[in-house]
Amino acid sequence: MGRLDGKVAIVTGGGKGLGRAFCFGLAKEGAKVVMAVHRLDEEATKAAKEIETKGGYALEVDVTKEEDTQRMAEETVKKFGRIDILVNNAAYYYGVGRKLFYEVSSEEWDRALAVGAKGAWLCAKAVFPQMKKQGKGKIINLSSETVFSPTKGMIHYVTSKAAVIGITRVLAGELGQYGICVNAVAPGFTDTAASRTIGSIEKFDVSSIPLGRVGVPEDVIGSVIFFASDDSDFVSGQTLLVDGARRVH
Amino acid sequence: MGRLKNKVAIVTGGGRGLGKTYCLRMAEEEAKIVVADILDREAEETVSEIKAKGGNAIAIKADVTSEADTQRMAEETVKKFGRIDILVNSAGYYYGMVRKPFNEVSSEEWDKAMLVNAKGTWLCCKAVFPQMKKQGKGKIINVSSEAVFAPTKGFIHYTASKAAVIGITRVLAGELGQYGICVNVIVPGVVDTAATRTYINIEKFDIGSVPLGRVELPEDVVGSVVFFASDDSDFVSGQSLLIDGARRVH
Repeated sequence: MGRLDGKVAIVTGGGKGLGRAFCFGLAKEGAKVVMAVHRLDEEATKAAKEIETKGGYALEVDVTKEEDTQRMAEETVKKFGRIDILVNNAAYYYGVGRKLFYEVSSEEWDRALAVGAKGAWLCAKAVFPQMKKQGKGKIINLSSETVFSPTKGMIHYVTSKAAVIGITRVLAGELGQYGICVNAVAPGFTDTAASRTIGSIEKFDVSSIPLGRVGVPEDVIGSVIFFASDDSDFVSGQTLLVDGARRVH
Repeated sequence: MGRLKNKVAIVTGGGRGLGKTYCLRMAEEEAKIVVADILDREAEETVSEIKAKGGNAIAIKADVTSEADTQRMAEETVKKFGRIDILVNSAGYYYGMVRKPFNEVSSEEWDKAMLVNAKGTWLCCKAVFPQMKKQGKGKIINVSSEAVFAPTKGFIHYTASKAAVIGITRVLAGELGQYGICVNVIVPGVVDTAATRTYINIEKFDIGSVPLGRVELPEDVVGSVVFFASDDSDFVSGQSLLIDGARRVH
């Protein structure tokens, strides 16, 4: 028996990298997964077909558009009858580049904050009425180890991921009365195609990681399942780093 | 199948309160449990309850402030079950503690809190380390307190000792990562146990300060212990997780 049998989960940015790993990890525990992707390109379409074979469903959503997020919630309820879990994973990260703070353009800044921060808020807003009706819910936001480090570059990305922690804390305060738990997971530098646009995995200084290796998407799944499952029903407002102990919080 | 099948877990302070709850839940997840406690009768009681439900457990009388006791605890565990996969450092000086301002705490009370809560945690880690190192993997779960994350009034010795536990957790995460040993710390809030009821009227606890709207129960904490004890957290180490209904955020 799966730990998420009978639950319905939405994962934004679910077509690639970490998001895709979360989709299949949640499905393996018995959840019906809605894979929300920005665009059903070749890679996402392949993932979408695969999640459908596991009883899931895929749709296109721009998380920066309120009407898109509302439609995402409506389609989920129409398709599966409920929403138990939301994983806010969509981010402006792929190809973001490691630019110094004065090299980041105003447009890049706005884009990072729109997807990473506003997008998480809009998706939470969209699923809230249904979770409130159910009297229970789990929202898992993706932050980043970069927030806990003296990171060089990517100020817009890091700022958006710090904002996610603020969103997590306020929502934990406001939604606790409805039995909705809101937590953040902060992965370290994880070996994905997106990370490889930022830096070389092979050249990453693994001696800075006590557990001695660069993280892979599978390392993060267990923590997402924990926050999605009943095991964390009295945990809310918290931020958990998943980074091999490179930073401690 | 249980999530801790074939694992061997030592729980200090497993005779009552939170520690006992950890023992029972980890036994449900099919771990073999070593109930270590200075209170041997209570430890035996926990063992009986585990066995009554078809689990496997032994009791070991151990004072975590005695290095000889903690070494014997590890040795007896290996002798009986052949390995040590999980250590939950739940033993603490808490029961019967009185809420006093910082200038009314005696030197003896200060020393006892630091001895049991901080040094005891370190000694138990030292004791299980050689076996976990040999196995190439291990999980150590320490127990801190929400008091560390709040403008707590009173209990300076207890709160300082529980902050020390976070320091211990971080250094051990740094030092033991190379052996595949993960060290994390859970941080419960005000939990309704017999120990808590010795210093607070739980009925008068302001649940308005808890977003999840109720007093915390021992059962609320066990899921996080299982998470940190299981393979699900194999890349998580050095971290502190609050379990308090969102009363404080970290």
